[in-house]
Amino acid sequence: MTALAAPIAPIAPGTLRSAWRVFWYGGRMSYGMLFNWARPSIYIPTLIGGPTFQLLFFAALGSYATDRSPAYFAIGNAVQVSALAGVFGMTMAIANERWFGTLPAILATPANRVALFAGRFMPFVLNGLLVSLYAFGLGIVFLGVRLAPGSLAVAGLALLVTVFSCTAIGALQGAVSLRLRDGLFGANLVTMSILLFCGVNIPVAELPGWMQVIGNLLPFTHGLEAVRQAADGAGLEQVGGLIGIEALVGVAYASAAFALFVYLERSARANATLDVR
Amino acid sequence: MSAERTLRLVWFVTWFNVRMLLASEFFILTTFISPLIFATLAFFLFQSGGGTAGQTLLYVALGAGMMGVWSTTLFGCGGAIAWQRWEGTLELLVNAPSRYDFILVGQTFGAVVLGFYGIVATLAWGVLLFGMPIQATYPLILPLSLAAAIISLGSLGMLIATTFVLYRHANALGNLLEYPIWLIAGLLVPVATLPIWVRPLSWLLAPTWGMEAIRGAATGPEPPFFAILMCFVLAVVYYAAARVTLVFVLAKARRDATLSLQ
Repeated sequence: MTALAAPIAPIAPGTLRSAWRVFWYGGRMSYGMLFNWARPSIYIPTLIGGPTFQLLFFAALGSYATDRSPAYFAIGNAVQVSALAGVFGMTMAIANERWFGTLPAILATPANRVALFAGRFMPFVLNGLLVSLYAFGLGIVFLGVRLAPGSLAVAGLALLVTVFSCTAIGALQGAVSLRLRDGLFGANLVTMSILLFCGVNIPVAELPGWMQVIGNLLPFTHGLEAVRQAADGAGLEQVGGLIGIEALVGVAYASAAFALFVYLERSARANATLDVR
Repeated sequence: MSAERTLRLVWFVTWFNVRMLLASEFFILTTFISPLIFATLAFFLFQSGGGTAGQTLLYVALGAGMMGVWSTTLFGCGGAIAWQRWEGTLELLVNAPSRYDFILVGQTFGAVVLGFYGIVATLAWGVLLFGMPIQATYPLILPLSLAAAIISLGSLGMLIATTFVLYRHANALGNLLEYPIWLIAGLLVPVATLPIWVRPLSWLLAPTWGMEAIRGAATGPEPPFFAILMCFVLAVVYYAAARVTLVFVLAKARRDATLSLQ
């Protein structure tokens, strides 16, 4: 009786409310259904165990090979491990639509594409933050990482922006993966490149010029530097510029990812290759 | 099965698996690209700390190469039985007249042999980009060291293949075990610098002795006979353990009728 009294009110696809629902519910569902690692038997070994040993490995290697403290390497890697969630997660959240056979259904809907795409970011940014905060905790307890109490908020902001920009490059990789046989190849390559080019273990200034150029074009480089400086007590006035550049890098990658997604959608419709693997 | 047939089977499966892995983008990355990235990272780190001597660079190149070998072994063997399940060939292979453990030996050796390309690649990388000298203190012992390392890692790979299948998400275990073995086996950081309780763990690992055998022949002050011996001893122990595990796993799968199920 109640159901009859309150019929389902359809929401017009073009409205803001509809876009919000696609953003909010679609984003949450994408995490649970498309992210292969969102179950304890994979999540714990991959996103808790893996980062733990990555931190310990680079802290041991870095402090043995150079005269820097383990804390330096712990901070770099604590930020970098968010890429496991951000890059791999976003790649799966987009590319798995094709592998799970849901891409044609998604693209057949009149759902707002910006909301559809942006909604995917939210859970993976939160997940990346969680992994990174866990790694920071590990660094504080075991590897001598110290964060200046007065700059915690600034460090947190820098970390949030860095995780966003890393998720954005994951989105670009996800869009590219719509055309590739194995999307995780690119995701692996991106995370390894971040380890090498972005000052995670080697200061960017010590790298050859061409590697510095690549580092400056990738996410993490400016955000990580902002986190390092904020951990030493720098305020927003000192690192605001770095955070701003990191945010711009993230927005640029997110825009490129969306543009590629839209282009591939149109191209797939035109060539009847929507579900071709 | 005669020894000749067995050797032919192992050789065929090894070669077949190498070709299968070469068709996988993931293994192209793990075997061909990842060792170069980690070698570059390690070269820069050691350069940053002032370690530019030829011996240091060779130490780094060999260590980074062995990191690639371990990754390929871990991922290539960890999912070996699971892949046969996905591809629908497990039941056929288990029920074939050829012994299944010999097929598994070939499969794991395929992954290890492919992984050893990583050492060649990082050596070439070090020479070309960082001016690393190629030298070997005991060049005649080096092939024996390589063979010992391949055999011990192959046997470890077989143990990995038979035990990982008990865990539903074998690849997740691979993600977990890559870095800790790089660390504990002393591939880039000497085991002596790690906490003392880590050392007995490192003695149980094939990569520790394989690395010591290769490094000993390349840069060591004396021939690495003990490390070579340990490689062969561990190979026998791993194979025995893998065989027992395999018999248990297959018996359980047959009893529960889950041989082809995930």
